[in-house]
Amino acid sequence: MLSRLRYIFRETFDSFRRNATLTMAAIITAAISLLGVGLTLLSQQGFDNLLSKWEGGVEMIIFVNAGATDDQLGVIDTALGNAGTFVEEFSYCDAVCSLNEAQIVLAGEPGTLALLGLNNIPTQYKVVPTEGTDVELLRQLEGAFAELPNVRNVQFAEDQISLIGQLQDFFGFRLLLLSIFLLLAAILLIWNTVRTAIFARRREIEVMKLVGATDWFIRVPFMLEGLLHGIIGGVLASGGLWAWNSQWTSGVGEFPEGSGFAALVVTDGYDKQVMLIMLIIGAAAGAIGSGIAASRFLDV
Amino acid sequence: MIRLENVTKSYSPDVVALRDAGFDIAKGEFVFLVGPSGSGKSTLLRMLNRQDRPERGAVWVAGRNIVDMPPGRVPHLRRNIGNIFQDYKLLLEKTVFENVAFAQEVIGRPKHVIKQQVPAVLELVGLAGKEDRLPHQLSGGEQQRVSVARAFVNRPLILLADEPTGNLDPATGEGIMRLLDRINKTGTTVVMATHDQRIVNTMRKRVIQLDRGVIVRDQARGVYE
Repeated sequence: MLSRLRYIFRETFDSFRRNATLTMAAIITAAISLLGVGLTLLSQQGFDNLLSKWEGGVEMIIFVNAGATDDQLGVIDTALGNAGTFVEEFSYCDAVCSLNEAQIVLAGEPGTLALLGLNNIPTQYKVVPTEGTDVELLRQLEGAFAELPNVRNVQFAEDQISLIGQLQDFFGFRLLLLSIFLLLAAILLIWNTVRTAIFARRREIEVMKLVGATDWFIRVPFMLEGLLHGIIGGVLASGGLWAWNSQWTSGVGEFPEGSGFAALVVTDGYDKQVMLIMLIIGAAAGAIGSGIAASRFLDV
Repeated sequence: MIRLENVTKSYSPDVVALRDAGFDIAKGEFVFLVGPSGSGKSTLLRMLNRQDRPERGAVWVAGRNIVDMPPGRVPHLRRNIGNIFQDYKLLLEKTVFENVAFAQEVIGRPKHVIKQQVPAVLELVGLAGKEDRLPHQLSGGEQQRVSVARAFVNRPLILLADEPTGNLDPATGEGIMRLLDRINKTGTTVVMATHDQRIVNTMRKRVIQLDRGVIVRDQARGVYE
């Protein structure tokens, strides 16, 4: 068993050395395509962060100044309750809830975030309209809600979501499409590299078959080679993603406060998950490319 | 050890490599396959190690009909068959030791067994002291000896040799034949395809003659003709 393992690893690394140029090309292509996949996932998460306060069909948010009394909140409750024709449901996001949300939305503005606390953060009423109620109808009620005691302002999802949503759709789809094409290119390149390696060693393979090596014994070093192409590509892409995310996170901090980009950073460990996903996709791409080549071209 | 029953193989309707070929070879026999180029000698050898399959007939090796043998069992069959070729088929970037060890390594022999058996077989073929040479540093005869060592290192039941002296001068060829004879005397069955009239006539072993895929002569202690 040990001698077989030693043989498999020795042959795999020998093949790396013999096909250094093609191996590098396959790894770099895999890394770029996986970085594309990673950036797509990361940017989607950034957009999701930006839109997080509008989750669950919320179309209108009434921001209430910190320090509003229970009576004042009761007045807002009653006003929303009386607007039952337009309001399907509403929920109150208290200071703790609002602070948690701010940590996502203002992740890129640590200065602003540091100034916020349970005693000064505005709380929110999140309003889901009834079906058939369009935003224009809700806007007619804006004035009435804005005049209620201690209401800071009223925001509508439409004002933020439409642009962000368009951006998310535009970048998300195109980046994903590009990544898929690059991933296919990586699989083809890994396939070609392994095919070339098989061709270069055809005499050796012929001898192996004649002395009684099993097909799997012959195949495994080639499959391992492709798998390593994908995994190394994934590791490089992970490094690239880490560097990109760090640069972006520190860069966003220098943008003007309130520019809206603060939520477009990922600081909650999601980037680590994306790196794991990239490694898995890289390994799968390598295994597919080399597996097909090893099965198809071993009849030498 | 080997039995062919009505074996027919054609590569196209016009090219029949073997036609109703049949014979028995007992354990420990030494058999020459002779005949002109294209008579079916190499095809016959390829049938015996399942590199090729007949359209009709049965090929029995060590008590098993290998025609319908599942592909997964073929490597195990081949571990009992050594192969020697006219062009040696050595791995040029491996040393003499590594070329011979390769045949053991790929079937999972432990390192200590390889270290023990490879020098012994190199001694047998007269290559002791040349373990670290690369094939291009050896003469043709020495390269063929490496090929014989690789074929014999796993102690196969059968040795198939396809024109093993074809690229060698007569004196070197005789050396290889003495080596094959020694191996045969250890109980290994040897089947050798050849054009070398002198060798066949000198050794006086069993001769099976083929002509356009048909066995036209099967003679004990025969000559080339």
